[in-house]
Amino acid sequence: MTRAMKIVIAVLVIAVVIGFVSLSPLRRRIQRLRESRGVEEQARHAVLAPPISTPTDVTVKAQIFWAAGPDRVAPVEVNLPLSADPVERSRQLLQTLIANPPSDAQRTLPADTTVSGFYILPDGTAIADFSDSLSSETPSGILSEELAVNSIARTLEANVAGLRRLKILIHGQEVDTLAGNLDLSGFFDLNSAPAPAQASSAQSVAQPIAPLSGNGLRTKQSSNH
Amino acid sequence: MPQQAPQPPAQPTPPPQPVQSEPVIVLDPAHGGTDTGARGENGLTEKDVVLQIARVVREQLAQKGYRVVLTRDDDSNPSYDDRAGIANGYREVIFISLHVSSTGTPGTVRAYFDQFSTPVTAQALPAGPPGGKQAPPAQPQSTLVAWQEAQRPYVDVSHHLADLIQLQLAQSFSGSPSASSAAPVRTLRSVTAPAVAIEISSVASPADALAGSAALVAAAIARGVSALRPGAK
Repeated sequence: MTRAMKIVIAVLVIAVVIGFVSLSPLRRRIQRLRESRGVEEQARHAVLAPPISTPTDVTVKAQIFWAAGPDRVAPVEVNLPLSADPVERSRQLLQTLIANPPSDAQRTLPADTTVSGFYILPDGTAIADFSDSLSSETPSGILSEELAVNSIARTLEANVAGLRRLKILIHGQEVDTLAGNLDLSGFFDLNSAPAPAQASSAQSVAQPIAPLSGNGLRTKQSSNH
Repeated sequence: MPQQAPQPPAQPTPPPQPVQSEPVIVLDPAHGGTDTGARGENGLTEKDVVLQIARVVREQLAQKGYRVVLTRDDDSNPSYDDRAGIANGYREVIFISLHVSSTGTPGTVRAYFDQFSTPVTAQALPAGPPGGKQAPPAQPQSTLVAWQEAQRPYVDVSHHLADLIQLQLAQSFSGSPSASSAAPVRTLRSVTAPAVAIEISSVASPADALAGSAALVAAAIARGVSALRPGAK
C-alpha cells in the first residue's frame, strides 16, 4: 500500500468518525426544531381559538376520530371537559380535533383551521362554519378530503346526541368542494343507517366505533341549493 | 287450380335483439389551469399527471376499438358542469374521471361512485323561526331531472361499473381495495350516465411509476366496461 493510499484511507476514516459524532447533535437539533414548531402551533392556536369553557362542563371520555393510517379514521378516547350545551360541546370537540391530534401523522384537519361558527337547527341539522384554511390547506384529493370530513362527522356523531345531519360552510359560505373534489353542497348524514345501496359496498358501511375508512361518509344531497 | 306446394312450417321469428351501440368513453383529467390539484414535493402536479395518464389511456382504449373523448386535452380547466355537459351530449356514454391523490398508500388505486341518499323533503327542512312562515308544502315531483341530481338515477349502474373496474385495479395494483368506494365526488354529480372516478395514490410517487400505471388503468377500464356491457369490446 502506497503512502498516498494510507493517507486517503486515514482521511476517510476520520471523516466517517466525524460524521458519526456530528449525527447525534444533528438529530437532537431536528427534534428540538420539531418540538418548537409544535409549541408555536399550539401558541398560535391558543390565540386564534382560545379554549372554550362553560359552567356546565363535565370531564368525560370523548371519542375523537383522528387518522389511523392513510385511508381511515379511528376513535381515540380523550378525557375532555365538555359542555352540556350541544353547540358549545360541538365547538369544544372540533377544537380538540383540530388542535390536539396525538401525532402529526394522525392529523386530519389543518392546524390553522378555526371553527368560526356552529349552529344546530331544530331538525337536528348541525352547521359547522370553518375558516378558509380548512379549504386552502387540506391536501387536494378524494381520499384526503374524505378523511377530513369523516373525522368531523364521526367525532360529532359519537359525542353529541340528537344531530341528524351536518352541513359544512367555509368562511360563512356554501362552497362547491372542500379542496377540489369532495362535494360540500349537500349534507352529511349523522346517526342514521346508510342507504341500502351504499350498504352493499363492504367499505361504505360505517361502524360508530370501529376504524372507518375514508368512505364511511354518508351524504345527503339537497335539491335546493 | 294449381295446388300450392306445401309451405314449410314457419320458423318462429326470433325476438328482435336490442342493438347495443358502442359507448363513447369520456375521460376526464381532473383539475387544470390554475387549479393544480394535488401537488407533490417532487414538483409533480395532479393536473399534469392526470392529463398525461388520460392521453395514454385514450390511446390504449382506442387501440381496443373504443371511441374516446377527453374533457380537456390541454392545460385548461373546464367547469364541473362543462365536463358533465360533454358526457351528457352523447346517447351511449361512460364517464371516467381521473385523479391522483396527495395522500394514500403509494401504488394503490381506488374507484369511486357518487353517493346520494334520500332527497331532502320540505318536512325535513327546519321549521323556521317561531311565528315565522311555515315551509311551503312539498311540490309534486317534476319529471325533469335537476342538474345537480342528474347522476342519482345512475348510481346503481355506476356502483356496478366502479366495482368491476376496482376488481381489475386490485389485481394490478397490490394493496388496493377489492370493492369500490362511495363518495360525494363533485365532478360525477351532474353526469347522466354511468360515472366513475379513479384516484391513483399518490402524486408523491416517482413520475415514471405514475406514467407506468396508465396502461394498467386503461386495461382495468376496458375490462370493466366490457363486463358492464357484454356487447362492448
